[in-house]
Amino acid sequence: MTMLSMHPELGREVSVGSIDKELRKLWEEDEARTNASLMNLAIYSEAPGALEKNSAAIRELTAEHACRAILVGIDRNAPDASIRAWITAHCHLSHGKKSVCCEQIAFALTGTATGRLRNTVFAHLASDLPLILWWQGELSPRFEDRLYSLVDRFVFDSADWADPRESFGRISEAIGSATREMVVQDLSWTRCFQFRVSVAALFDDPLVLAALPEIETVEVVHHPANRQTALQMVAWLAVQAGWRDGMELDLAVQRRNGNKEGFSFEGPTGKTISVTVTADENSAPLGLVKLSGGGVTVSVSRDAGASHLTRRIETPGHVVEAPGPIDPDTPANLIGEQLSRGGKNTLFQKILPRFRQLLER
Amino acid sequence: MSDTALLPMTNPFREDLVSRSRPEPCTVVIFGATGDLTHRKLVPAIYNLAIDGELPPGVKILGFARREKSDEEFRKGLEELNRKVSRSGHDDGIWAKFQESIHYHQSEFTDADGYKRLAERLDAIDRERGGKGNRLFYVASAPEFFDDILTQLKAAGLNKAKDGCWARVIVEKPFGTDLATAQHLNQVVNRTFHEKDTYRIDHYLGKETAQNIMVLRFANAIFEPLWNSRYISHVQVTCAENLGMEGGRGGYYDKSGALRDMVQNHLLQLLSLITMEPPTDLSADGVRDEKVKVIRSLRQWDTPEKVAKNVVRAQYTAGHVDGQPRPGYREEDRVDPESMTESYVAVRLMIDTWRWSGVPFYIRMGKQLPKKATEISIHFKDAPCVLFNALPGGVPGANVLVLRIQPDEGISLRMVSKIPGTSLRLEPVKMDFHYATSFGKGSPEAYERLLLDAMAGDATLFARRDEVEEAWRFIDHIEQAWHQSNTPPPMAEYVAGSWGPKEADELLQQDGNVWRRL
Repeated sequence: MTMLSMHPELGREVSVGSIDKELRKLWEEDEARTNASLMNLAIYSEAPGALEKNSAAIRELTAEHACRAILVGIDRNAPDASIRAWITAHCHLSHGKKSVCCEQIAFALTGTATGRLRNTVFAHLASDLPLILWWQGELSPRFEDRLYSLVDRFVFDSADWADPRESFGRISEAIGSATREMVVQDLSWTRCFQFRVSVAALFDDPLVLAALPEIETVEVVHHPANRQTALQMVAWLAVQAGWRDGMELDLAVQRRNGNKEGFSFEGPTGKTISVTVTADENSAPLGLVKLSGGGVTVSVSRDAGASHLTRRIETPGHVVEAPGPIDPDTPANLIGEQLSRGGKNTLFQKILPRFRQLLER
Repeated sequence: MSDTALLPMTNPFREDLVSRSRPEPCTVVIFGATGDLTHRKLVPAIYNLAIDGELPPGVKILGFARREKSDEEFRKGLEELNRKVSRSGHDDGIWAKFQESIHYHQSEFTDADGYKRLAERLDAIDRERGGKGNRLFYVASAPEFFDDILTQLKAAGLNKAKDGCWARVIVEKPFGTDLATAQHLNQVVNRTFHEKDTYRIDHYLGKETAQNIMVLRFANAIFEPLWNSRYISHVQVTCAENLGMEGGRGGYYDKSGALRDMVQNHLLQLLSLITMEPPTDLSADGVRDEKVKVIRSLRQWDTPEKVAKNVVRAQYTAGHVDGQPRPGYREEDRVDPESMTESYVAVRLMIDTWRWSGVPFYIRMGKQLPKKATEISIHFKDAPCVLFNALPGGVPGANVLVLRIQPDEGISLRMVSKIPGTSLRLEPVKMDFHYATSFGKGSPEAYERLLLDAMAGDATLFARRDEVEEAWRFIDHIEQAWHQSNTPPPMAEYVAGSWGPKEADELLQQDGNVWRRL
């Protein structure tokens, strides 16, 4: 008989068949704790050591997002087939008094047992609550219809992908073939949320809005690791402002010139809009979005290390600056932001085809 | 097609980003800018909106008050308080930028020239810092200056917006002290601003839990079918405070009292949200049309006898709260030793509508009660007296749905369950939802939400003229019975730290009910 142990991060090891019983025992041990759950949050990873790292992330996340956490660590190449499970609870003081706890089940699946992912792991969802699946790393063969058909929200980070064109192709296929509505969320898209809010806020100014048809140039600066974020930002600007793909002309020559990429669009009035996307090692994930034209320049910028964005409007005779909140940097905090907002993320699906076009170029 | 036809009419970048009205850049002119409200609530609220990125660029603040101050001195005072009270902390870098948009204008509230200079100053600020001329006037001065401020704003032409702009006014409470003064103030306000540009603030409506009342009722299918006299026995609204007249509050409070200070505005607003019919839409007037119908349907307690039967007033005597000795109300600082102002009031209300016929509503508000809590409890009728109800002892307590407004915001439902065992014994159990447990993130301050709404032109969470006047009409009968009748109902007493006078308990006993223990 296998000895079940206590793991310093993952908690008590339990046999897979007795998870529910052991969870009940966990709560019966201390009546002072309140079990809270608004969702099932599953994290899937094939990286070594991911269970421990994700357990730490869940501890942080549950301070604001009560959930049943299900961690899945997969080793497809291990020679032996095995499934191990651990249970623990992450507790936080609410208003300095009540201890509010969220339960966590961690699974380690190896070898051919990884094929039992759906039946074994997802048998432990809290009923009637939505399932959010955070897929870490590349989309492996385990990303399949039988898995994502269970999911209400599928979260991934395209910054992790070696070949985003291919992976986004699979995501689009999944959306198209899903038997139920699947909300997809790219953390690269979440990374530019506050930039989008800030750009929108700048265009709330009627003078700036009136200059939108006159926009001629767009500059985007990003960290090299966050190209997808920059291109999604460009796709969003183009889709929302009604910019069509423009003539290639000389921009095609400089499309990938060192750390710069160029795109050309045509605005609703026929005006050409030149977009420059620059990768800069010293930049924040997204460092600058600047639109100019019609005598108006608006920009949203984030200096590396800054605690806030700077929103800026320059018109003849006036410069107005205002702060804006920044997007979080860690994936766990990005997930937290996303969970706070909810929604169906229809805007992402709206810009997805355009973004994929930009990726293809 | 002309070029102008191609211009975007709406901001296309707003799609899917926010689901509420969009605030517009403006200058917020605060009258009474050296007061506590400005320093503790209004400017920290605007600062927090800026930090959260909710504030449109180009929002400026201009404080208007009588004291001599420079912009710099005004900013310094605001900064000191902001460090202490800001919900999201104080960031020196952000404040340095934020304060550039804060200015101060010295003038007497009655000085016509001061308002002319104000108009010039506003134009100058717009020229220097950009801005097309939207103005949000916030009347946060002492109430005796409301008339003067509004009249002078009109005389200076500041009530009229420039083309393509707007001029709005937010008026702080108290909105009058009785129906006559409220009507007078409404006339003055509406002579100066259109009703659609008038925002009478009631910060209770900005609280997250107050806003959730409509969501609970109309976004969940299970409650509305039960929300009527067929299933509901009675409703209690409680606002308990464990403080008295600390910090010199006795001076204001002794002229006001619990009924005028809390019931006329906050508690009747909560009551109307609980009892109104579903609005046809979520527009400001859609919601307020339904709310005012409730206030209009309140049965009037228009004789001293009716008041004596349905209303209890009381003052606290010396006692202990949280283990600390507390003086009696009449011994409090700045309170008249022979005061006849109530520190506690309990009112039994009847709403004469088809839905609520025969259902009593009880509102109580008191100072120096054992703890601070505001909540609404919906008490359902007993299940029919068959099956379990026919057992010895019956069913222990009917279902109660509790909406906790503050603190520990949340919702609980009491129901009956079988105690595990071989015998059939029943006990009440509670299902509890706590905002703080389910949503770890704190809610914005009520003033943040309300200021944003006013900048966006959304008056849903503000009281309309007819709501205020109808509420005063109901309250005035009670005040008149207390203070102008030859046979005024007596002033009861309760010990500080208790849950109120025995007369308040008797008020419910006449209907066979008891106050919910908090």
